[in-house]
Amino acid sequence: MSGKQRTATYPVGDSYVSEGVIAAASSGPAAPGPAGEPGEPLLVVEDLRVQFTRGGRRINAVNGLSYELLPGSMMAIIGESGSGKSVSSRALMGLLPPTATITGSVSFAGRELIGMPEREMRELRGGDIAMVFQDPARSLNPTMKIGAQVTEAIRLHSDSDRKGAHARAIELLRMVRLPAPERRFHEYPHQLSGGMRQRVMIAIALAGEPRLLIADEATTALDVTTQAQIMELLVELQQRLGMAVVMISHDLGLAASYAQDVVVMYAGRAVEHAPTATLFGNVRMPYTRALLGAIPALEREPHSLFEVTPGQPPDLSALPKGCPFRPRCPNALDRCVEMPPFREHEPEHWWACWNPVGDETGNGEQE
Amino acid sequence: MAVAETPISVTDHPGVEHEHEEAPARRGRWRRSLGVAVPGGMVALIVAACFLGPVLFDLPSPVGGNILESYLPAFSPGHLLGTDPNGNDILSRLLYGGRASLFIALAVNVLGLVVGGTLGALSGYLGGVVDTVIMRVLDVLIAFPSLVLTLAVAQALGPSMRNTIFALAFFSIPAFARVARSAVLRLREMPFMAAAQLCGTPAWRVLFKHLAPNTAPQLITFGMLGMGIVIIIEGALSFLGLGIPDPAPSWGNMVATGQLSLSATPMLVVWPSLALLVTVLSFNLLGENLRARWSGR
Amino acid sequence: MTTAALPQVPGTRDPRVSRTSRVTRFAGSPVLRLVVKRLLMAIPIMLGVTVLTFWVLSLIPGNAAQQLLGPEATPEQVAQLEEQLGLNRPGYVRYGEWLRGAVTGDLGRSIVSNQPVSDLLGERLPVTGELVLLAFVVSLVLAVPVALLAAHRPGGVWDRISMVVSTAGLSVANYVLALILVLVFAVQLGVLPAIGFTPLSEGLWPNVRSLILPSAAIGLPLFCFYARFLRGDLVDQMQQEEYVTTARAKGVGSWQVLIRHAFRNSSFGLITVVGLNLGALIGGTVIIEQIFALPGIGQMLLQAINTRDFIMVQAVVVVFALVAVVANLVVDLLYAVLDPRIRYGSR
Ligand SMILES: Nc1ncnc2c1ncn2[C@@H]1O[C@H](COP(=O)(O)OP(=O)(O)O)[C@@H](O)[C@H]1O
Ligand code: SF4
Ligand SMILES: [Mg+2]
Repeated sequence: MSGKQRTATYPVGDSYVSEGVIAAASSGPAAPGPAGEPGEPLLVVEDLRVQFTRGGRRINAVNGLSYELLPGSMMAIIGESGSGKSVSSRALMGLLPPTATITGSVSFAGRELIGMPEREMRELRGGDIAMVFQDPARSLNPTMKIGAQVTEAIRLHSDSDRKGAHARAIELLRMVRLPAPERRFHEYPHQLSGGMRQRVMIAIALAGEPRLLIADEATTALDVTTQAQIMELLVELQQRLGMAVVMISHDLGLAASYAQDVVVMYAGRAVEHAPTATLFGNVRMPYTRALLGAIPALEREPHSLFEVTPGQPPDLSALPKGCPFRPRCPNALDRCVEMPPFREHEPEHWWACWNPVGDETGNGEQE
Repeated sequence: MAVAETPISVTDHPGVEHEHEEAPARRGRWRRSLGVAVPGGMVALIVAACFLGPVLFDLPSPVGGNILESYLPAFSPGHLLGTDPNGNDILSRLLYGGRASLFIALAVNVLGLVVGGTLGALSGYLGGVVDTVIMRVLDVLIAFPSLVLTLAVAQALGPSMRNTIFALAFFSIPAFARVARSAVLRLREMPFMAAAQLCGTPAWRVLFKHLAPNTAPQLITFGMLGMGIVIIIEGALSFLGLGIPDPAPSWGNMVATGQLSLSATPMLVVWPSLALLVTVLSFNLLGENLRARWSGR
Repeated sequence: MTTAALPQVPGTRDPRVSRTSRVTRFAGSPVLRLVVKRLLMAIPIMLGVTVLTFWVLSLIPGNAAQQLLGPEATPEQVAQLEEQLGLNRPGYVRYGEWLRGAVTGDLGRSIVSNQPVSDLLGERLPVTGELVLLAFVVSLVLAVPVALLAAHRPGGVWDRISMVVSTAGLSVANYVLALILVLVFAVQLGVLPAIGFTPLSEGLWPNVRSLILPSAAIGLPLFCFYARFLRGDLVDQMQQEEYVTTARAKGVGSWQVLIRHAFRNSSFGLITVVGLNLGALIGGTVIIEQIFALPGIGQMLLQAINTRDFIMVQAVVVVFALVAVVANLVVDLLYAVLDPRIRYGSR
C-alpha cells in the first residue's frame, strides 16, 4: 500500500512566480502533457486514516488513502458523496474538528503535515496550500466586505501595508476576472452572484501564492455555464502560476475534461488511480465502471451527475470485512472478503481489486 | 457540507490503538447519564425530604412556636437549624415551605401545559383567524411585564396558595402555548401528515397521535426549567407578602422575615436562600442535561 | 462607465441602482417598512396591555377612596370621595377617558397625591433607567470576554468553569442574590451602602456607589445568561459555518477567527436576546428597588398597587410595555444598520 513510485510525465512550472510565468504548455486540458523532466512529488499521501467519534459511534471516514501529486499538475479526486473526499483534503490542512482522529502520513514538499504544530500549520494554510469550497454562498463571511476578506488573506501571508494589500487585492480580483473589482471591493458577499463569489474565493486562495490549491467541489453549486467558466479560470491559473490543483468532484465528466490524473475513492480509500486517458480508456475497477456505466460514454451531457450505482453506499461505522464494494460488486469473488491491495498493476495504473474489469474470473476458477 | 455537529465530545489522541474500541464511547455515554442522574437524584431527594421528612423525623410544627425559644442557633437540641424570631423550628419551616413551593410550581406547570398546550396546539392546528386571535392575546401577555401582572393579580385575589397558582399561570400559559404551537406547526410539515391525508385519516387524529410522543421531550425539558422559574417567582411574591400568607412558611417569606435582622442573624436568610438555590439549580441542571441528551441524538 | 459593457450576471444588482437618490431609496427601503410594520403591530399590543391592566385592577377589592380614608371611614364618606374622584363610573368609561388623554400624551394625575403622572415618572424613571443601564453595561462587558474564552476551546477548562458559574448564577433568585450581596459587602465588609439612593447631583461616585449592589443583583444573572447564550452561538458558528473554515483555511489564527469572524456574526443573536430581555429585566427591578429602597418606578408601582392608584399603575404598565416594544424596535433597527444583508434589502 505504500512506497509507490510514479514516473512523472507532466510539465512542471518550476518555482512559483507571482504572475505571468506560463508553464511550458500542457496543450489540451484532458490529455497528460508531453514529456517533461521527472520531478519530486509535491504531495505524498500515505495510508491516511480519519476516524470521527460521535455520540459513542466511530465513523471511519478515510481508511488508508494513498496518492501522490506532482507540482504544477491538476488531479481529480472523484467518488460518490460520502466517500471521504472532503474529509481527506481537510485532514491534510488540519481543518477537521477535534472529534477527528487522524493517522497516516501526508508529506508536502518534504514536510510532514500530520501532527504538525498548529503554529507551523497556520503558515502553510492559505500560504503554500489553499482551498476553495463548494458553496460560495456560505463560505464567505456574510458580514465582511469582499475587500476586507481578500486583504485579510494577503496581509496574513505578506508584510504588505494597508495600501499595498489593497492594490494587491484589486490585482487578484482582476486576475480572477471579477467584473468591476474596485467597486466590488466595497460590497458584501450577498450582493454578488454565485459565480462571482466563487471568483472571490479563488482570489482569496491565490492571496498567499499557493503551490497547491484544493478545489472541493468548487463548481458543484454553480450553473453549467458558470461552472465551465470557473473551471477554465482554474486551469488557466494553474498553468499560468504553475501551482498544483486537486479538484474534488463527484462529476466524472468534469474530471475527464480538465484533470491530467484521476483518483477514484470509495469508502475512504483510493480504489483506482491513473492518468485520465488511461483510466477512461481502460477502466479496471468494477466501481469505476459502475460510475461510468450509469451514463453512455460519449453522448453524455458534459457535467451531468452520474446516477447512483445500485445498492447503498457503505455504512462507515460498520464497514464489511475485505473489499468495501463487495456488497454492490458484480465481479465479487469469495476472495473479496480479504482486502485487495492498492497496487500499480500496470504502468501508471493503480487499482485495488481481486477481479478487475477486463480479466474477470469466475468464482469456481479461483479456488 | 457541515464539518461538525457535535459540540463537545470526548476525543482520544491521534494514534490510539484500536484495541480499546469501546472505551471512549462508553465513557461519553456514562458521563451523559450521570448528568441526568445526579440532578434527577437531587430533585428526588428534595421532594422526598419536603413531603416525607417532616413525617419521618417527627419535626416540630412549622408554626405556633414558643416565643421564648426564638433565635436559637443551629444545632440546638430539638432544633437542628435553630429557630426563627417567633420560635419556630427553621428546618421544619424549610421543609413545609418547600412543600408549598414544589406544589405550586407543579400546579403552575400543569396548568400551563394543559391550558397553554391546548391553546397553542389549537392555534397551530386551526390556523387562520383563531391562530391570529390567540397569538395576539399571547403577544399582549408576553409584552405585559409579567411580574406586574402577577403582582396585580395576586393583589386582586388576595394572598393564598390557590391564588398564587392562578397568578403564576400567567407566566406559564403563554410560554407553553408557544412551544405547543411551534411543535404542531412543525408536525404539520412532516411527510406522515401528507401520507395520512392520502389515506383519508382525519388530520387532527394523526396530529393527536403524534403530538404527545413527538413533543414530550421538549415539553418535559421545558417543564423542568419552568419549575425553577416558578419557584423563583413564587418566592418573589411571598417575599413581597403577596404569596403564601404569613404564619404559613414559604422560602420567599422566610427570606423576607430574615431580611429584617440580616446583620444580627444572617442565617435566617441563608437557609431559605440555600434551599431556593439548590432546588432551582437541580431543576435547571436536570432540564439542561435532558435537553442536551435529547438534542444530541 | 465601463461596467455597462460587462455581461450582467443574473442575481446581481445593476451597478447604476446604487446611484439613485437617497431619499427614494429610503422611502422604499426595507428598514422603513420594518419600522412602520413594527409600530402598527405595537398598537394592538399596547391597547391590550392597558385594557388588561384596567380590568385586573378593577378586580382588586377596595378602591383608592377606601385606601385614602382608611378602614374607619363610613360607607357614606367613601361614596362621597368616590364620587369626587370619579371612581363610581363604570370601568369602560374611565378607561375611555384615560385613553383619550393618553393618546395626546396626558397620562392624568395620581388619584392619591393628585400630582401629574408625568412629573412623578420624570422623578423616578431616571433612577430605574440608571439602574438598568448599569446592570446592562456591566453584564455585557463581562459576558463577552467570558464567552469568547469559553468558546475558544469548547469542553476545555474555561468552558467548564464558565458553565458551572453560569448555571449557578442562573439559578439564583435576584432577591436572594441582593441579600447575599448586602450581607457580604454592606454588613460584613461595610464597603458599600446597604440601602438608599444618592442622586447624581451629589457627585458621580456617590451616585454610582449607591447603585453598585442593586445593579450587581440584576446584572449578575444577566451576565450568566448572556455569557451562556453567546458562548453557545459562537460555538455553533465555529462548528457549523463554512466561512469559519474559509477563514481558518486562509491561515487566520484561532483567536482571530473567533473574534473577527464568528463574534461578528454572533453579535446579531446577542443583540436580539438583549432586546427581548429588556422587558423582563425592567419588570425585575420592582423587587430590587424594594429591597434597596431605591426611589424608582418599580417601587412606585408597588405603592400604587397597594393604594389602588389605578392611574399610577396604568402609567407604570404603559412605560414597561413601551420599553419592551421600543427595545424590540431598536433591535430590528440595529440589525438593519449592522447586518449588511438587511441593509441592502436582500433577505
Ligand atoms: N465532523 C464529522 N463528524 C462525523 N462524521 C463526519 C464529519 N465530517 C464528515 N463526516 C462523515 O465522513 C464521511 C465522509 O464525508 P466527506 O468527506 O464529506 O464525503 P465527500 O466525499 O462527499 O466529500 C461522511 O459519511 C460524513 O458523514
Ligand atoms: S475486490 Fe472483489 S468486491 Fe472488491 S471491487 Fe474487486 S471484485 Fe469487486
Ligand atoms: Mg464533500
